[in-house]
Amino acid sequence: MPAADAIRVVIAEDSAILRDGLVQLLTDRGFAVIGAVSDAASLEQAIATDPPDVAVVDIRMPPTFTDEGLRAAIGLRRSHPDVGILVFSQYVETRYAAELLAGGASGIGYLLKDRVADVADFVEALVRVASGGTALDPEVVTQLMGASRRTDTLAGLSGREREVLALMAEGRTNSAIAASLVISEGAVEKHVANIFSKLDLPATSSDHRRVLAVLRYLEG
Amino acid sequence: MAGAGGRWVQIRIPEQRADQVKRLAWLVAREPFQKRSWAELGFFLASSALACTAVFLLAALGMAGLALAVVLVGVLVLAGDLRVARGLAGWQRALARRMLGEEISEPEPLSPRPGLFAWLRASLGDRAAWRAVGYFVAKLPLTVFGVWFALSVWLEALSGIASPLLGGGAQARFGLFGRPFDPGNGGSPPGFATHVAIFVSGLVLLLVAPWTMRLVVYLDRGMMQLMLGPGAAASRVRSLEESRSKTLQAASETLRRIERDLHDGTQAQLVALAMRLGQAKEKLDHLGGGDDTAELAAVKRLIDEAHRGAKDAITDLRDLARGIHPPALDTGLENALATLASRSAVPTEVTVSILSRPSPAIEAISYFCAAELLANVAQHSRASRASLTCAQHGPWLRIVVRDNGQGGAALDRLGPSSSGLAGLADRVGAVDGHLSIASPPGGPTAVTVDLPSRS
Repeated sequence: MPAADAIRVVIAEDSAILRDGLVQLLTDRGFAVIGAVSDAASLEQAIATDPPDVAVVDIRMPPTFTDEGLRAAIGLRRSHPDVGILVFSQYVETRYAAELLAGGASGIGYLLKDRVADVADFVEALVRVASGGTALDPEVVTQLMGASRRTDTLAGLSGREREVLALMAEGRTNSAIAASLVISEGAVEKHVANIFSKLDLPATSSDHRRVLAVLRYLEG
Repeated sequence: MAGAGGRWVQIRIPEQRADQVKRLAWLVAREPFQKRSWAELGFFLASSALACTAVFLLAALGMAGLALAVVLVGVLVLAGDLRVARGLAGWQRALARRMLGEEISEPEPLSPRPGLFAWLRASLGDRAAWRAVGYFVAKLPLTVFGVWFALSVWLEALSGIASPLLGGGAQARFGLFGRPFDPGNGGSPPGFATHVAIFVSGLVLLLVAPWTMRLVVYLDRGMMQLMLGPGAAASRVRSLEESRSKTLQAASETLRRIERDLHDGTQAQLVALAMRLGQAKEKLDHLGGGDDTAELAAVKRLIDEAHRGAKDAITDLRDLARGIHPPALDTGLENALATLASRSAVPTEVTVSILSRPSPAIEAISYFCAAELLANVAQHSRASRASLTCAQHGPWLRIVVRDNGQGGAALDRLGPSSSGLAGLADRVGAVDGHLSIASPPGGPTAVTVDLPSRS
């Protein structure tokens, strides 16, 4: 039995084997899976009747198997801004990610399906999205970086600062970034401060600035 | 009306004949009052006027073009001349359709690839336009014949009928078949009898006129079908193109289905498998704590390897599926090319302007061309920047990939750098597309691919 304060999840995935696997995995990890559906319409219905903390949404679902899940996710963003959305796809598409993030990066995740194989990372990403954070697949970040290279908005950043920003976009905390780049947390803080000033971001709460920096970065 | 049996039979046959004669007479008598007869007269007048104008205009333009042929302008004028001929042929077909109800199929469309030279070549070699010129030239003798053989009868008939009203004599009329028509009064001043004779002969000619005109128009119909419709070879080419297009469509649908099956079946199963192995791995880690027995360590290693293998398989399968049918294409070429460019190792700027979606087969070929060309840029060009444009030019889709690299790309050069381009040219040629390379040593390189939007 999940605890009373367990994170409430709705899963929308058309492949039965994957859907069952996800339900089993998340229940095992203490999440409360309150719905598991196989198409976009049922997802919208499930969320309307009982809004969860986070929805895991496959991009390709019936009937056309193109971008139903993404359309549903964008719709949910508008109707239920409090529900975190983790979009889940076999492929990375720049345009999808950009569309999804257009309304703000908080409470949004975009992961390749492969990532569920690394259970701990996946669960961590889901928790982050449920609590309003961001989780972008490294491959999504690489591609968005590629898409944004054409403009010079980020030209002023040093190589290290770009690396830090890319990890911020994935949704990592300063300590996680420090661990990943094998530098001290203080150094990361210095880089982050430099990024904020170079991107000319207002001095509000640090979380908000992080989101803004990531958005600026993604917009290129 | 009863009579003796023998007499009855004798009378009956002539009555039947009389019926036939009556019917024929009725048919002939009403013909001048049929809409069709007047439409044919109108068509003859209108199409003759069009043909005379056309011959005059085409000859004037043609001579101007020949006179200026030493400079490029002359060639342009000649090409323009043929475009005019094509346009006039369209008018002629419209006349036939509106006035005669005669349907003449459009000839093969002229769709030059973008660019002045391609336009010139296509225009000058436009068989349909040359056949239209032939039609208008051949139409001149037919017009002369029609005036002599049919129009004169109409005019003589009408003026004969109108003659008593106008009080005119034989001199005021037009003559028949090129000769002055005279119902036998030897040029003396017309008396009452002459007026009656002229009027009656007018009536008789009125019955004849529709039939002579019908013959002339019939000849013209034949000429139009022969020279203004699609040529025999062109019709054959068109039917072959249609069947090829169906084959391409079927192939691209099959590929899409295979990709979908992989995605929904095998990939999902592999992901679920990898997920379970991941879970098992974690549970084993918790179970073992710090002091692993040798066997537990071996199990952990096995699970770990299986886990990694499953993840590698997912990646491989994704690349394979993407090579079969890029899923990004489902939402259109623009999305797919944007995603492609953002994955490219060389920073690439993308501009796509497509008004209507090309056929799926062409979208797929466009995508694979762009992918191959961008891969070439990354591998061989040593460029720091590239651009990818995809735009519609009439019925053509033009894809241009430019880079600021070292240049020297070529189609026919042997070696690893050129094989990709040659294969690409074959693939493009298979749908009547065209690939051209501008890549001087030292760069920059521009590769242009033209594909028909619908194939």
